[in-house]
Amino acid sequence: MSYVLSLLIALPLAASPFVFLATRVNRRFGIYLSLGLAAVELLIAGYVFWEVYSQVPALPPGSYILQEKYSWISFSSFDLNYFLGVDGLSSPLLFVSALLTVLVIIGSRRLIDHHEAEYYSLIFLFEGAIMGVFTSLDLILFYIFWEIVLIPMFFFIGVWGGPRRKYAAMKFIIFTFAGSTIMLLGFLYFYMGMPSPSFDIPTIDAMLQAHQIPVGLEYLPLLASFIGFAVKLPLVPFHTWLPDAHVEAPSPISVLLAGVLLKMGGYGFLRVSIGLFPGASTQYAWVFLALGLFSMFYGAVAALLQTDLKKMIAFTSINHMGFVLFGAYATLISGSYIGIQGAIFQMFTHALAVGSLFMLSGYVQHQAGTREIPLLKGLGTSMPRTAAILVLGSAAAMGLPPFASFLAEFMVIVAGISASIFTAVSILVPVITAGYFLWMIKRTVLSPAEPGTEAHDMGWSDVGAFAVYLIPLVILIISSYLILSPALPVAQFLKGLP
Amino acid sequence: MIDYLTIAIALLAGAGLFLPLLQVVRSGKENLSGYILAIVLAAALLLIGMFTLNPSSVSWGGSLIIPDQMGGIFALVTVGVTLAVTIASFDFIKSTGRPVYYSLLGFTALGMVLLAYSQDLLMLFVSWELMSLPTYVLAGFDKKLRSNEASVKYAIIGAMSSAVILYAISLSYGLTGSTQISAVVDGFTSHPSALAGVATLLFVAGFGFKMSIVPFHMWIPDAYEGAPTTISTLLAAATKKAGFIAAIRVLLGITTLYAVTKSPLFTMANVFAVLALVTMTVGNISALTQKSMTRLLAYSSIAQAGYILIGFVAFSNAPGSSAAILGLTGTVFHVINHAVMKGAAFLAAGLVVLQLKRADLKAYDGLGKRMPITAFTLAVAFLGLAGVPPLSGFWSKLLLVLSVANGPYGWLALAAILNSAFSLGYYAWIIKRMYMDQGESTERVKEPFWFVLIFAVMVGLIIGIGLFPQQVISFVSNAVTNFAG
Repeated sequence: MSYVLSLLIALPLAASPFVFLATRVNRRFGIYLSLGLAAVELLIAGYVFWEVYSQVPALPPGSYILQEKYSWISFSSFDLNYFLGVDGLSSPLLFVSALLTVLVIIGSRRLIDHHEAEYYSLIFLFEGAIMGVFTSLDLILFYIFWEIVLIPMFFFIGVWGGPRRKYAAMKFIIFTFAGSTIMLLGFLYFYMGMPSPSFDIPTIDAMLQAHQIPVGLEYLPLLASFIGFAVKLPLVPFHTWLPDAHVEAPSPISVLLAGVLLKMGGYGFLRVSIGLFPGASTQYAWVFLALGLFSMFYGAVAALLQTDLKKMIAFTSINHMGFVLFGAYATLISGSYIGIQGAIFQMFTHALAVGSLFMLSGYVQHQAGTREIPLLKGLGTSMPRTAAILVLGSAAAMGLPPFASFLAEFMVIVAGISASIFTAVSILVPVITAGYFLWMIKRTVLSPAEPGTEAHDMGWSDVGAFAVYLIPLVILIISSYLILSPALPVAQFLKGLP
Repeated sequence: MIDYLTIAIALLAGAGLFLPLLQVVRSGKENLSGYILAIVLAAALLLIGMFTLNPSSVSWGGSLIIPDQMGGIFALVTVGVTLAVTIASFDFIKSTGRPVYYSLLGFTALGMVLLAYSQDLLMLFVSWELMSLPTYVLAGFDKKLRSNEASVKYAIIGAMSSAVILYAISLSYGLTGSTQISAVVDGFTSHPSALAGVATLLFVAGFGFKMSIVPFHMWIPDAYEGAPTTISTLLAAATKKAGFIAAIRVLLGITTLYAVTKSPLFTMANVFAVLALVTMTVGNISALTQKSMTRLLAYSSIAQAGYILIGFVAFSNAPGSSAAILGLTGTVFHVINHAVMKGAAFLAAGLVVLQLKRADLKAYDGLGKRMPITAFTLAVAFLGLAGVPPLSGFWSKLLLVLSVANGPYGWLALAAILNSAFSLGYYAWIIKRMYMDQGESTERVKEPFWFVLIFAVMVGLIIGIGLFPQQVISFVSNAVTNFAG
C-alpha cells in the first residue's frame, strides 16, 4: 500500500504549527520555510499527477490508483473508512491547488502585513484540508475535509480582509455551512436507504452498476448535494456570498477562493452528483444544463456592469464555473465525452487564469491605491509590466489562444451543441467575456495617464511569479493530453453508469 | 472481588458528611476542603471507571440498583463534570463557607451516581432529591440579589417537578403494584390505560424540567445567569444529564400512549419528535438574541437537549432496530460530548466573569488577545457544539441525524441539520467577536493555573474524541446494545 496520498494531506497539516512558531520567531525564516514546505508539497502533487497520467488511461474506467483504506469507526450497522484514492478527475485539481499555494505564499509576502504567523499556518491547514477533499473516497471523510476548509477561510476573510470583512466572513460561513450540512443530510438519507449501507464511493458505484440501488432513492440526495455544491461552485442564485467574500478577502486569499475553493463545487458535481446519483442526474440533466447556462450568462453580464476590478473578476469566476456544470451535464445528455473532459480542463485553466488576475488586482491596489476601473488610468505608460501581465491574464481568462482556456471552453461548447443545437447560444458567453475584458483594458491600460501620478511598477521577480500562472496554460494547449487523457476514463465511467 | 462502586459511593457520602466539620475546626477560609473533595471525586471517577469496565453485581441495594454500563457512563460523566467544577471553584469561590460549598457538591455527585444506577422508582426519586436539594442552595451561594432570585426560582420549579414525578410514581404503583421500573414498563405495555398514559406524560414533564425540554425550560436562563457560573456549569453539564438517564430508564420502554386519546398518532415517538423539534428550534432562535453569555449558553444548552431527544425518537419508533441502536448510541454519545463541550464553554465564561467582572457579550470583543487560552477553549467548544468536524460533537450529531435520516422522521433530521447551520450564526458570531473585533483593551489578563488545566483536558477531549471516536463509540454502543437487549 502506498502512503503518498496520506503524506499529501498530512504534510501541510503537520507543517501548520511549525510554520506558526517559525514565523513568530523570525518573519523571513517563517516565510521561506512556508515556501519550502509548499514546494515539497507541490513535488508530491506533481508525482501523483504523473502517476495518474501514466497509469490511469490503461486501467478500466472507474479505477482509482494509490488507494489507502483503513477502518476508522465501525460498530453495529455503521461502517466508516479512512479511504483515499485518485483518478483523472482529482489529480489536476490536486496539482493546481499545490501550485497555487506556492504562488499565494510568494504573493502574500508583500500583501499581508499583520498576524503573519497565524496567516501562514492557516494557509497550510487550508491546503491539507483541500488535499483531503480531492482524495477522499469515503463520503463522510469527504464531508469532514469539506467542512475543515471553511474554518481557515472564515478567518482569512474576517481577519485579513477589507473594511466590510466581518460581514463578508459571517455571510460566507453561514451560507456555505448551511449548504454543506444539507448535503450531509442527503448522504445520510442515501446511506440509510441502501440495501447494504456503505459510505465507500467505489462500493456504491459497484452497487449502482449491479442495479441494486433504486433510482427512487437518488432524488432527495441529488437535490441535497446540489444545494451544497451549488453554493460552492457558485451557481446563480446561490452565489451572493461570492462577490462579498472576494471583495473583502485579501488578494492572495481571493486566489485560493477562486482557484481552489470553487473547484470543490465542480468536483462535487462530477464525483458525487453524477457519480453517485447517475439515474436521477440523467433524468434532470436538462435542468442542470440550463442552470449552468444561466450562470454563464449571468456571470458575464454582471461582470460587464462592475466598476471594481476585483468584483469583475469575481463574476468572471461565476461565468467560468457555469461552464463546468454545463459541460458535465452536456455529456450526460449527448454522450460525447468531451463535455466532462472539457469541464475538468476548464477547472484547471480557470484556477490559473483567474488566479493570476486576482493576484494582480492585489498588486494594482497596493501600487495604485485603488481597484476602481474608471480611476485606473494609463497603466500602460505608468506601470508597463503590470499592464502587460493584466493584458495577458485577461487574454487567458477570456479564452484567447494560445491559452489553454480556449480549448477548455471550446470543448464544453461543442459538447453543449451536440446535446442540443439551442445551446449554441452559449457561444455568446465568451463574446461578452471578451467584450468586458477588452473594455476594461481600454479604460485602464490604453487610456492616457493622469499627469503627476507616481509610477510604482512591479519588480521582475514578481513578473516571474506571474509567468508561473500563465506559462502552464500555454504549455497545456499543446500538451492537453496531460489532463485530457486521464480525464477520458472518468468521462466514460460517469456516462456509463446506469 | 472488590466492589469498586460501593467504595466510590462511600467516599462521596463521607466527603459530603464530614467536609462541613472543617468549617468548625478551621476558619473555613482556606481551600483545604476543595482539595479534599477534588481528590475524593478523582478517586470516585477512577473507581467507577474500573467498575464500568468490569461490571459486577453489588452486594447491597437488592433490586434498587442495576450496575450496568449505561449507568456507568452517566455516573462517569456526572462525576467528571463535578470534578471539573470543583477544580474551577478553587479560584472562583472565595467567600467563607467553602467547606459547606464543597460538601454540597459532594452530595450532588452522590445523588447523580445513585440516580444513574437506579432501577427502582423510589430509589430514583430519593437520589433525584439528593441531587437536586444541594443545587438549590448552591445556586444562591453568592448571596447576591440575582443569585438569590435564581435560587428561589430554581427551588420552586424544582420542587414542582419533584412533585410531578412523585405523582407519576404513585400512579404507576397504583396501576402495576410495583415500583420496579421494568415491572412498571411491562405493566404499562401489557395493560394500556388512559391513566398509564397520564403517568407517562407526567414522567416526561417531571424529567423534562431537568432535561431543559421546551416548554419546561422557563427557569433555565434565569437560574444559569444568576447562579455562580461554576454552579451553572454543574446544572448544564451534569444534573441535566442525570435527567436524561432517568428518562432513558423509565420512558424508553414505553412506546404507545394510544389509550389516552385513542389516536394512533399519539405515540411516544411522536411526542418525543415534537418535543425535540420545538426544543431545538426555540433554543437556537432565543440564543441568537441574547446579550449575556450565560443566557446564550443556557439557550444553546436547551437547543442541544433537543438534538439529544432525537435518539429517543428513533428508539421509541422501532425498538430493537438498527436505527434504534444508532439513535440511542447517538443520544448517549452526545450526552458525553455535550457535557465536555458545554462544561468547557461555561467554565470559560466563568473565568471571564471572574477576571473581567462582567458577563455581557461586549466583554468578548478582542478576547483572543486578552485571554488567548480561554478564547481558544471557547472557540473549540463552540465549533464542537455547532457540529463542525472533526470535533467530538460532530460524530454524535451525525449518529443522531443518521438514525432518523430515512424514514417517517426524515423531517426531524432536516430540522436538526437546519438548526445546526442556524446555530453557527451565534457561535461563529462570538468567535468573530473574540478574534476579529477590537476590544476595549489589549492588556493580557491572568488565566489561573487550575482553569488552564481544565481547559487543556477538555479541549484535548473534544479534539481527541473527534479524531479517534472509535473507542468511545464502540463502548457506548455496547452499553446501548446491552440496555436494549
